[in-house]
Order: sequence, then C-alpha cells, then structure tokens
Amino acid sequence: MWPSRLHKKLYVTPQSTISPFKLIAQAAECGQADCTRSQSVLRIWKSLKLANIQRLSNMEVSYGAPPESVQKKFALPVDSEHKATEFRLFSVAAPHMRAFHLSWVSFFACFVSTFAAPPLLPIIRDDLDLTATDIGNAGIAAVSGAAFARVAMGTACDLFGPRLASSALTLITAPAVYCTAIANSPASFILVRFFTGFSLATFVSTQFWMSSLFSSKVVGTANGVAGGWGNLGGGATQLIMPLVFDLIHNIGATKFTAWRIAFFIPALFQTLSAYGIFFLGQDLPDGNYSQLHKSGDKHKDNFSQVFYHAITNYRGWILALTYGYCFGVELTIDNIIAQYFYDRFNVNLHTAGIIAASFGLANLFSRPAGGILSDIMAKRYGMRGRLWTLWIVQTLGGIFCIFLGKVGSLGVSIAVMIIFSVFVQAACGLTFGIVPFVSRRSLGIVSGMTGGGGNVGAVLTQVIFFRGSRYSTETGITLMGIMIICCSLVIMSIYFPQWGGMFCGPSSKVTTEEDYYMSEWNSAEKERGIHMASMKFSENSRSERGRRVESAPTPINGTPSTYV
Amino acid sequence: MAIQGFLVVSLLFSCLAATSYGLTFSSLQESLIVTASPKHGQVLSAGEDNIVVTWSFNKSLAAGTDSSYKTVKFKLCYAPVSQQDRAWRKTEDHLNKDKTCQHNIVTKPYSSSNNTFTWTVERDVPTATYFIRAYAYNSADHEVAYGQTTDAHKTTNLFNVQAISGRHVSLDIASICFSAFSVVSLFGFFFLEKRKAKMSQAK
Repeated sequence: MWPSRLHKKLYVTPQSTISPFKLIAQAAECGQADCTRSQSVLRIWKSLKLANIQRLSNMEVSYGAPPESVQKKFALPVDSEHKATEFRLFSVAAPHMRAFHLSWVSFFACFVSTFAAPPLLPIIRDDLDLTATDIGNAGIAAVSGAAFARVAMGTACDLFGPRLASSALTLITAPAVYCTAIANSPASFILVRFFTGFSLATFVSTQFWMSSLFSSKVVGTANGVAGGWGNLGGGATQLIMPLVFDLIHNIGATKFTAWRIAFFIPALFQTLSAYGIFFLGQDLPDGNYSQLHKSGDKHKDNFSQVFYHAITNYRGWILALTYGYCFGVELTIDNIIAQYFYDRFNVNLHTAGIIAASFGLANLFSRPAGGILSDIMAKRYGMRGRLWTLWIVQTLGGIFCIFLGKVGSLGVSIAVMIIFSVFVQAACGLTFGIVPFVSRRSLGIVSGMTGGGGNVGAVLTQVIFFRGSRYSTETGITLMGIMIICCSLVIMSIYFPQWGGMFCGPSSKVTTEEDYYMSEWNSAEKERGIHMASMKFSENSRSERGRRVESAPTPINGTPSTYV
Repeated sequence: MAIQGFLVVSLLFSCLAATSYGLTFSSLQESLIVTASPKHGQVLSAGEDNIVVTWSFNKSLAAGTDSSYKTVKFKLCYAPVSQQDRAWRKTEDHLNKDKTCQHNIVTKPYSSSNNTFTWTVERDVPTATYFIRAYAYNSADHEVAYGQTTDAHKTTNLFNVQAISGRHVSLDIASICFSAFSVVSLFGFFFLEKRKAKMSQAK
C-alpha cells in the first residue's frame, strides 16, 4: 500500500493546480504495474487529449483507496471505480443495492409474465380450442424471441445503459401481456406469447448492470443471486396464476373470463417494475449513461471490433450450446410441467401448479449455489475446476431428467423433479462462473450469446420433443435427458491456453492471462490506452490458476502472441 | 426418511391397486338406449340452448339384466374429431384413465322406461363436437352398463357446441388502454432522459 505522504501528493483536489504532466511523471516513478494507478493515468491521459485543463482540475484523481469524501457518498465500501466491494442483501442503498433489487424484481416480473400461460393451459386450451401442436408452438414462440433479443440487449446496454434498455424492453412488452386477455384463437395466442417472451432479454441487462456496479470479488454472487431470483419467477407464476384465477372465478366470473382477467396481474407488475427502474435506478455508481456520455467521462468502444471478438471466440459458442441444455431445459420444463402433472397424474389445476412451482422455486438457492460452487472450485483448482464441476453437475442433471420421464408414481416423480431442478439450475450458475473469463472486451455480447443460446436450446428441445403428439410427454422428458448428457460433452473441448481445459493443462508455451486478454486489442487501440480495463482484469483473473505454483511470468511490455 | 419410504411404498401400492382393480369400458354392456334432441351437425350455444334427453332400458335384452342398476349418470363426451392431437381428451379402455367424457350433465335414479329430462348447455363447455353417454351404476357405485346417442364407431348423431368466448367489451377496452398507456410512458421516458442529459450538459 502507498505511504500516506505519497498518497497526499498524488491526490488532486478541485482547488489544486498541479500540472498534469507532473502527475504522470510521478505515476511513472512508482514501481510495479498497479492497475488502479494505470486507470487513473488513463483518466489523466484522456483529459489531456481533450485539452481541457479546467475539466481536469474539477476531476478527482486518486491513487489507492478513494478519499473520505468519496467514501461518504456511498453507503457501501467501494473500490477505485466506485464499484461496491461488498454485497449486502438486505440493504436498499442507492445506487448499488437499490439497482440490484430493482433489476432482480423486474427480471422476476418478466419471467412471471412469460410463463403465466402454462399453469392455466387446461382452461385456455378449452377456451381457444388449442391442439397439442398449437400449445407446443406457443411454448416455442415464448422462448424464441429472446434468443435474438438477448444478443441485441447486450448491445443496447452498451449504447444506452442497462437502466434505460431494461425499462424500455419491460415496458414495450407489457402490451403483449395485456393483450393476452383478449386473445381469441390459436394464432393470436401464439402471437402474444411470442411478444411477451422478448422480455426475457432483461437477463442480459441484469447481469450487465451487476457487473457495472459490483467489483470482481462479489460480482459472481451479485450475478448469481440476481439471475437466480429472477428465474424464480418461472416457478412463482405456477403458484400465482392458479391462485389469482381461483380468486376471480370464486368472485363470480366464468372460467373463460377469469383466466383473462388474471393476466392483468403480471402485466401490471411488469409495468410498475419498469417505472421503478427508470425513476429509482442508476446505470453506474457515478451517474447515468446519458449524462456521462455528454460529459465525456465514458468511452464508447467500437461496436464492430467488439462484435468481431465475440463471434470469433469459440468458447462463447460452446457455452451458448451448453447453456441451451441447462437453462433451455429449465425454460422447457417451465412450459410443460404443469400440464404434465395435470394430465398424467390427474391432480387438479391448483395442485399441478404447486408441483410445477417447486421446480422453479428451487432457483432461490440452487442457481446462486452453482455460482458459489464455481468460485469455491476455482480457488482450489482454478478454471479447470470450474469446467469439471460444470460438466459433472450438468450431466447429473441429464441423468435425473431421464429418471423423471421413467417414473410413474406421483410422489417419486415430484422428488426426482426437485433433485433434477437443483442440478439443472446449479449448472446455469456454474456456466456464468465461466462466461466472465471468456472475453473481457466483448463481455456484453458473449453474455448475450450465452443467454441467447439458452433460449435456442429451449426452442430446439420443444420443437423436437414437445410439439404435437409424436412423443408422449414422459418419453419427451426422457429423450431430453439423453440430449442434455450428449450436449454437455462439448465442455471437454473448452481450452484456455493460460489455464488449460478439462483434460489438458495450460499451454507448454509460456502464455499468460495478459496474452489472452490483450490479443483482443490491436496496437493502435493500445496506443490510445483504451485497453487498460482489460489489463486490470487480466491481473485479477490470475486467481483462475488455482493453487498451483505460479510459474508463468507477467510480461510488462511484451508483444503478446495471438492465441488459438 | 422412514416416513418418506413408507409414503413412497403406499403410493406405489395404491397406484398398483387402482390399475389392477379398474373396470374397462369394453367389459360394460350397452343396455341403455339414449337419444338426444340435437340433430347430427347441429350447433348449440353454450349457456343458452337446451338438450332434451330421452332414455330407457333396452327391452330386447333379458329381463333382470337391469336388476343391479341403481343410478344413471349422463355425461357429455368428445367425438373423435375433437380428440385429435389433444392427448388430454384421449379414450382409454380403463375407465379411471378414460378422458373421453369430461362434462357431467346430470345423475338420475334408475328407472327402466319413460325417462326424459332437459339440460341447458353450461357456460364452461368448450367449443367441440360431442355425443352423450349414460353410465349405469350399481349400489357400490361401480359402472355396470352404458348407453350412448351415437354408434359404436362414434360417427352418427354428433352435435357441436359453440362456447362463450369469455371476452367482454370492458376487458377489451381495459387491455387496449393499459397497452397504450405503457407505450406512451415509454416515449415519456425517452423524452425525460434527453431533457436530463441536456440539463446536465448545460450545467
């Protein structure tokens, strides 16, 4: 840590008149590469480029921990980027924890709306005269929109900020939920489910927002809890909708009217959550994108470069495929499980809803647990531990899925379903323990691709196994389990030259984290200094080596070799 | 753990018991003659139109066959065209798994002739093609015989019901208003955001 007198020397107050050149010289004097310093150097450099000394003197530039006045502004302890270093679940302090609660609640609302129809299908299928093919198509439509929308959302977050992007999407899909109440044919039913499903892209804005507000020490937890509690909506809706329907039916409405009125509840919830995000949320600790863009404090990256580096990284595609067989399976089950229990075991609508809900409700702990397990394995075994754990957990999920289709009695079926849900959701959490390390520059798009891959998996699975009457539902479930096991095998092909893969150790050529992440930037960009965030990340990611002896040196100024 | 094990075993037993006991449709005798007022292909409106059902014992069968019949339950059953691609309406021989007849009409005490009743099609009957079937129950409440308005292949005397849609004008208006409100709020958001950014730039 810095000696205090040096700290005082380097800190610039608004009234100070230290020359920026002197600042840079002092920074260069200080020995090892410390990323906090290099980030501050970057800020000075940017300001000089804008040739606006007045703005510099108004800016706070600090080395090491931010000073007291900055610390007091935030309720949580923050690092030099003002990202929170602690995750306090029961706080609603602005901007960090408030944003966390707003984002998981709105993602939860979107899940509730998207899966509001399945628990009421036994009523809706009679009202709209749906066939099994129509129901299958509607289920596919519900999850297919978000496959593309999730990728687009990553870009939107980059351009407009997660706050505006997510509240806009939530608000624009709310009319689809309102209009479900006036659907009158199979075609209109499929359409409303299709447009409602777009709202599932708020997953990306949730993860993006958490990554902007929480430091790398707690970002895994923040992402895992936000993602898991949002997914909870898929389970909660199986409880909420039959209850709301019963209430309205008992008040006096006929069945065919009661289900329509019931849809206003998720629609209103979604609308209110969008309002909450817009008025109470904040993109970054220091302000919103629109203000920061205008003041020049935030640098806009080159979209085509970011996109190119995302799609040429094969690991992103593999994780997209495997996410399709944990999250995609979760979405599929959300669509079919209530009807499955209602039809196969002759339970009533209410009971089928409760059973189906317990699948999604396991998300309360199982997805966060997956993320935490990933971090625990990484501490000991590094990235290889994360990969092995993901493969084992996801394969076990596939095995229990096979059992679920085979079991013929109600009690055992429920038990197997719950075990299956824990493994499948933990696999989702484990996947997003690996995604942040695939790319630093293109994190938004890689997250979007993986998230979108989840939806593609849901579409594929429903098209092949759960549409029309070719397979009975129980056969479809068993076959889906076999497909999970087969598709999880590709995890074995993920290889990081600096950390290794499932079966190979790190590359015999000396490769470091810097080499991997710096190869996403060309030399012109490096000269402008915009690669500094990746530099800092490379250093932090050295923890993915696990506990083995750190043999690979850190190049200070080397020209990195391109990887794979 | 022990309780869970016991529950699982008892559930398995009850499932086995249910399936091993189950009566099959093919074991029932068609001894009732049932006729209904709708003609083949006629469309009835749910909640409005009536069906007049006349039923009696088939006198050509041996006397005494109906000595065990105590009650007769009438049900509205799906015709094959309405069962296509709808596994939740499938016909199964085991009566406790059969989903053909899902709507109860009425239960009457058994009498061998001169029986008739009128039934208004209820409002929760979905749009589909139907026929009517009557099951005769003995004193132990098990099916012992049946009769239906259609033939064995379920091709004659099928009638349609047009269900209520469940939509109301007030619902339509509410949906459209709320949707419009959401879209307008969205434009409001963008406008507010632009204004905030301009104000912070002016500062």
